[in-house]
Amino acid sequence: MSERARSLARPATLALIVGAGLWAWAAVALWQSTELPSLDLPHLDPHSFFSDSFLHRSATYERFLAILGLLGLVTVIAVLVVYARHGHRLVRESAAGRVGTGMLLAMLGFAVVWLAEVPFGLVALWWQRRYDVSHQGYLPHLLNSFLGLGSQFVFLCLGIGIAMGLAGVMRRWWWLAVVPAFVALAALFSFVSPYLIPDTSSIDNPALVAEARALERIEGAPHARLREQEVHRFTDAPNAEALGLGPTSTVVLWDTLLRDGFSREEIRLVLAHEVGHLAHHDPLKRLGWLALFLLPAWGLVALFTRRRGGFAQPEAVPVAILVLVAFQLLATPLLNVTIRRQEAAADWAALQATHEPATEKAVMRKLATKSLSDPDPPFWAYAFYENHPTIMQRIEMAQAWEDQRP
Amino acid sequence: MATLFEGKSPAPLHDFLARFVRYATQVCAYLNLAAEPLPAFDGKPGYPVDVEIEPPVAQNRWTVAFRAVLALPALVLAAVLVGSGNFVFDSVRSSGRLGFAVLGLAAVFGWFYAMFKARMDRGLRDLIAYALSYAAQTWVYLLLVTDIYPDSDPLTAIGPLPTRSDPVRMEVTDELRRSRLTVFFRLALAFPHLVWLTLWGVVALFAAIFNWVVVLIAGVSPQWLHRFLSRYVRYQLHVSAFLYLVGNPFPGFVGAPGTYPIELHVAGPERPNRWAVFFRLVLAVPALLLASAFGSALLVVAVLGWFAALFTGQMPLGLRNLGAFALRYIAQTYAYALLVTSAYPYSGPCLEQ
Repeated sequence: MSERARSLARPATLALIVGAGLWAWAAVALWQSTELPSLDLPHLDPHSFFSDSFLHRSATYERFLAILGLLGLVTVIAVLVVYARHGHRLVRESAAGRVGTGMLLAMLGFAVVWLAEVPFGLVALWWQRRYDVSHQGYLPHLLNSFLGLGSQFVFLCLGIGIAMGLAGVMRRWWWLAVVPAFVALAALFSFVSPYLIPDTSSIDNPALVAEARALERIEGAPHARLREQEVHRFTDAPNAEALGLGPTSTVVLWDTLLRDGFSREEIRLVLAHEVGHLAHHDPLKRLGWLALFLLPAWGLVALFTRRRGGFAQPEAVPVAILVLVAFQLLATPLLNVTIRRQEAAADWAALQATHEPATEKAVMRKLATKSLSDPDPPFWAYAFYENHPTIMQRIEMAQAWEDQRP
Repeated sequence: MATLFEGKSPAPLHDFLARFVRYATQVCAYLNLAAEPLPAFDGKPGYPVDVEIEPPVAQNRWTVAFRAVLALPALVLAAVLVGSGNFVFDSVRSSGRLGFAVLGLAAVFGWFYAMFKARMDRGLRDLIAYALSYAAQTWVYLLLVTDIYPDSDPLTAIGPLPTRSDPVRMEVTDELRRSRLTVFFRLALAFPHLVWLTLWGVVALFAAIFNWVVVLIAGVSPQWLHRFLSRYVRYQLHVSAFLYLVGNPFPGFVGAPGTYPIELHVAGPERPNRWAVFFRLVLAVPALLLASAFGSALLVVAVLGWFAALFTGQMPLGLRNLGAFALRYIAQTYAYALLVTSAYPYSGPCLEQ
């Protein structure tokens, strides 16, 4: 028997091959669970919808942020490479035992990343203020960011505690056990997330609530709570989101959408889009994608941390952080593809529910204008940063819906 | 001006200011019950609670020029220890801003103690003396009598200290070195511990109520319950030591004994007086109030220590020891309130056996 055949015959290798097959099957099934009609989107000229000055202004605005983001990512990776090489020395700053020390090293890794990102965050804020997209002050921005680090550390410690605990108990295949644990944790977080959003209140507009109920019936969505979030102190950009699981399903509309020049039909269309997410069980599907992406991520962590004694050892944590962050960066374009598909399906559902393509186009124009979004960004920025279809793609979808109407 | 030009305080001025500080200290010691006899009006040495002031020496002109600014940290610390004017009433007046000043509370509790026992409690007396000592050091520094920066170390401030072996005692093996990285992010790093401490605290509260009932009936705390509550108190100490920079390393999450350089030793369960157990919460109120005053001091220690450790990579010994002193009192208070021990918290600085 040749060396290659012997290698294939090993149970571990066989298990990996079978696992990869199952992974691919699950990914295809999950992809197909989001139904989207095969549309031939018409190519529309952005200049027909936006002025030359806006297109130039939004392109300049977004290009700067995209380049700044890339520079920030390069810096973060560089910092994490240095941390992966030398971070294990910080073990001496802990009296917390194996798992506690791992938690400390993980927190310090993200603290160092936070420090490295501070200048980029400040420059980005300066740029947003310059274009009147954000009103946040520099000090509140820094303070919020620093305090946010504290809550981030709580979840980080929980995650590291679970992973290191399992790595300590299970020798080789611990990373397979980590995934369901993390997905369960993410599900719990997703379940309670509507209650964690700050500055929200119930919507007391009976007409809007009645429209939401009607849309739920049309789109076949579960009953959802309707909340308004106060954000106008920080930004003018309008937005909405659907979150929560089962009984906590919630649609959150930003006050910038409700009080800032959007007509009743336009708000209804945004609402229909969010109800579409709930009807398609998108929060649950995102957990499925998370599970699929976590598997190779933790598998790579298990592989790369072997030289440091495995992930059960705190000295391996800096390496693991580098692997996880690098994997996340590489997987982001793929993850964006899956989310963009869900967004497109929600757009389509909104058009089917409201039958108002003209309103969809008007909403997209307003969204772009208020958020200063480039309607047709360059491909690299689209692939890396956009988890929604571009504004022009969404307008083109509305046009396609209009064209295929009998 | 004279010190700035001559490089040292002129002798008559130095003598005048030294007498003033000495007299103020004596009056405050008398008023706050740290000493019995009425002090003389001339500020001469020899009072039972007194300050020793060295003769004038050459001072660094730069520190003289910026003395008011340099004295600010010491003034803040003095404010939480003695209030703004060294009187009992300041404690009440300042309560709206900084919480109770340590000195004022100690004096009030000392007054009640002395009324019943016809003598002052040693711990309270030493605590008042320590607070006055720090205030006196701050004033002589501010008034240019000396250029020695006030030392907040409670172990060196007031003559010989008692050596104690309390059922709940603290051991400090901390090396003063601080990691600048963990110092900078100290608050954020402590966040997971604070969340865990809060969750554990809820369980500990119910456990303490259960313990209260059990001790009232059986006369002694069950071993497992005593161990659980001891661990909680120890964990609380570890987390506070880390958060307030009294200790350097990141603590563990289970309050295990022997794992942290600021360690709490807790004796096994004892048979307490049932009446004292029944009224434990009421009896603990004075200690809890004093613990909250120590908490204010601890906060100032942390803020000053944060800057010092960030620049020098070391925690100043005096601040560390003051922090440890405050933590020891707070831990003893929690242990007393949660029925881990029947020994009342000792409020004065002391040496551990």
